[in-house]
Amino acid sequence: MSPLTSSVLTATIQAPKIEYSQVAPMLIVLGAAVLGVLVEAFAARRLRYGLQLGIALVGLLAALVSVALLAGAHHIVAMGAVAVDGPTLFMQGSILVFAVLGVLTMAERSLDPGGTAFAAQAASVPGSTAERDAVGAGIMQTEVFPLTMFAVSGMLLFPASTDLLTMFVALEVLSLPLYLLAGMARRRRLLSQEAALKYFLLGAFSSTFFLYGVALLYGYSGSISLTGIADAVSGATGGDALLLIGTALVSVGLLFKLGAAPFHSWTPDVYQGAPTPLTGFMAAATKVAAFGALLRVLYVALGGVRWDWRPMMWAVAILTMVVGAVVAITQTDVKRMLAYSSIAHAGFLLTGVIATSRAGLSSVMFYLLAYGFSTIGAFAVVTLVRNSGGEATHLSQWAGLGRRSPLVAGIFTLFLLAFAGIPLTSGFTSKFAVFSAAMAGGAAPLVVIGVLVSAVAAFFYVRVIVLMFFSEPVGDGTSVVLPSALTTIAITVGAAMTVVLGVLPGWFLHLADQAAVFVR
Amino acid sequence: MRTILAGLPGLAAATATAPAMGTGEVWLFWILAPIAVLAALGMLVAKKAVHSALLLALVMFCLAVFYIAEQAPFLGIVQIVVYTGAVMMLFLFVLMLVGVDSSDSLVETLRGQRLAGLLAGAGFAALLMGGIGSAALGTRAGLGPQSASRNVVDIATLLFTRYTWAFEITSALLITAALGTMVLAHRERTAPRPTQRELSEQRFRSGGQLTPLPAPGVFARHNGVHVPGLLPDGTPSELSINKVLAARGDIRSGQELDTPGIAASTEEEK
Repeated sequence: MSPLTSSVLTATIQAPKIEYSQVAPMLIVLGAAVLGVLVEAFAARRLRYGLQLGIALVGLLAALVSVALLAGAHHIVAMGAVAVDGPTLFMQGSILVFAVLGVLTMAERSLDPGGTAFAAQAASVPGSTAERDAVGAGIMQTEVFPLTMFAVSGMLLFPASTDLLTMFVALEVLSLPLYLLAGMARRRRLLSQEAALKYFLLGAFSSTFFLYGVALLYGYSGSISLTGIADAVSGATGGDALLLIGTALVSVGLLFKLGAAPFHSWTPDVYQGAPTPLTGFMAAATKVAAFGALLRVLYVALGGVRWDWRPMMWAVAILTMVVGAVVAITQTDVKRMLAYSSIAHAGFLLTGVIATSRAGLSSVMFYLLAYGFSTIGAFAVVTLVRNSGGEATHLSQWAGLGRRSPLVAGIFTLFLLAFAGIPLTSGFTSKFAVFSAAMAGGAAPLVVIGVLVSAVAAFFYVRVIVLMFFSEPVGDGTSVVLPSALTTIAITVGAAMTVVLGVLPGWFLHLADQAAVFVR
Repeated sequence: MRTILAGLPGLAAATATAPAMGTGEVWLFWILAPIAVLAALGMLVAKKAVHSALLLALVMFCLAVFYIAEQAPFLGIVQIVVYTGAVMMLFLFVLMLVGVDSSDSLVETLRGQRLAGLLAGAGFAALLMGGIGSAALGTRAGLGPQSASRNVVDIATLLFTRYTWAFEITSALLITAALGTMVLAHRERTAPRPTQRELSEQRFRSGGQLTPLPAPGVFARHNGVHVPGLLPDGTPSELSINKVLAARGDIRSGQELDTPGIAASTEEEK
């Protein structure tokens, strides 16, 4: 017998043990996604929209229930690949809620005369007769729903991964559908396709940074599991070049995803070009997933070298806050302004990460929840303000909106006040939590800068409010279109939670605090 | 492979220093590494996409040899079969479909971007080389003499136990890719396909060319597609030649190919 066959025969592989109940949220969402693909293949075209929307919503809600049932879990499952612990469940819950709201806004058909915010046929060349025919035939690209579900499944796994390989796969699973969806806007399709290509190229670029960092961390520690790296870090005496460079490169990959400066350049273009409902979903849910992964890597694997990565994170946080707030002032497009606002918020969130404490973790989780509700709501309001060419996103078109549609302008004002961090809104509570955690974590100068930047940021939010309420309307046919129940629910939930998290944040703060322990 | 790995099995036991490379492996490295680096640089600067693709295949091939030399025969073979063999060749097929002639526009839309990119890249490379070069590499035991034959088994064990979850989640990636390709490339018909009868009726209604197009070439002299056919009055027929060839200026008239005597005689006949 040759040595090869003998060694094969003697090898016994123990069957892997997957705790299916513990990874149920991901499995349900993946199942819904695959079911959606089958619907695309076999269901008649007129049935697809209803079926897809139903499958997506039922899947997401079922996954949300299974997350709730897992509350209190604190272990590593699926052969050591997935951590089911407080932060995982809190963030998975947040992502699923945002996904429900996101799917509701994406399914909205009564705003655009053609149908949803997504292209009737993404394959047809913009401006061609094929596109006109597709729009005229009233068909719609219902693949949007399964793609969204795939993105959600990646987001659910991303903050739960306990090894860097699984994390990388999750990163790709969450990114790939988003690259696709970003290029599928119904109006201004060239802008949308440019955004998708930019997002794809830069995203692929940042993924390779992440992968290179993983390789270097493996070279340093001989392990790609977060606990393995943590053991190697605590066993070593001083910082090693491999560890430091690996940490830096992995951080680059993660910071790109959450849109921190100097890796933010994709954010405004993609947020502006992508279909607005997708932008809202992406801004809220991707941020949760990316911060979840960043927190797990930095806290679990690299907590031992926090004195090495903290100075760099300081720089990134300051730069992110300043770039986001200052550049937002010069923006004339609502979606771009919200994009820069999201960059600034990533900076505020990073101050909580830098705290490297339980309070830091819980405050960041709370912030993500609060910010997500406001963001989805704000982008949903943007979809309502339209003229004959689609959404009217130029700020000048928003002038005098408060006089014509006080309710919509009032709700948007609420979201803007929350972004600015005005008391009695969720923005104030979350900013207060993050800053006090950073203060306790010894980052007082960072908090001072954060407060100053918040003041700058408040300027451009207030400017939009003034524009809406105190300037004369321009008569260019811009009006507020009445949405169906889908978008109405999303906006209502977003606004209600913005108020609730500002006025009665106690229960949620307590929940976040309870959840803020990583399993190791 | 035996000669390449000659120095390695014994080294697993020698833990005093980091495992040194055997002579064969040193030679292998210093021959293939420059080729790989030059090919990688060439891939970046090549103006034609086909050249880039072929150079990338060369880089991948060099890497595959390194993998095999590093006692990872399975990885090396997979690298050649899957990446160099399948993926790169598919890529070349796509390039062929798109058109081999098409090359990227090299106009800088942002001024000075290329220089800035070059500087940043060089800085990053220097940082990495300095950092990794000075890194304290611990002593690694190596894979041991048995590893070459157990290679596939070990990978399978890891893939189906420790990394089952990642492996299964990857399927989501593949479905997404397939679905995305359909979304971006597949155009469903919005109207029913016209029948042959409808097409025929449409052709007669529009009143264009009803008969088949005249054939190119001049009987008994030139039957190439680049020579227009002559009408009864001796003028070349525009319809007999391909418009693309005409646009490229590849058309030659029947007259200029004629021998002088015959040309003169045709003139006289006119």
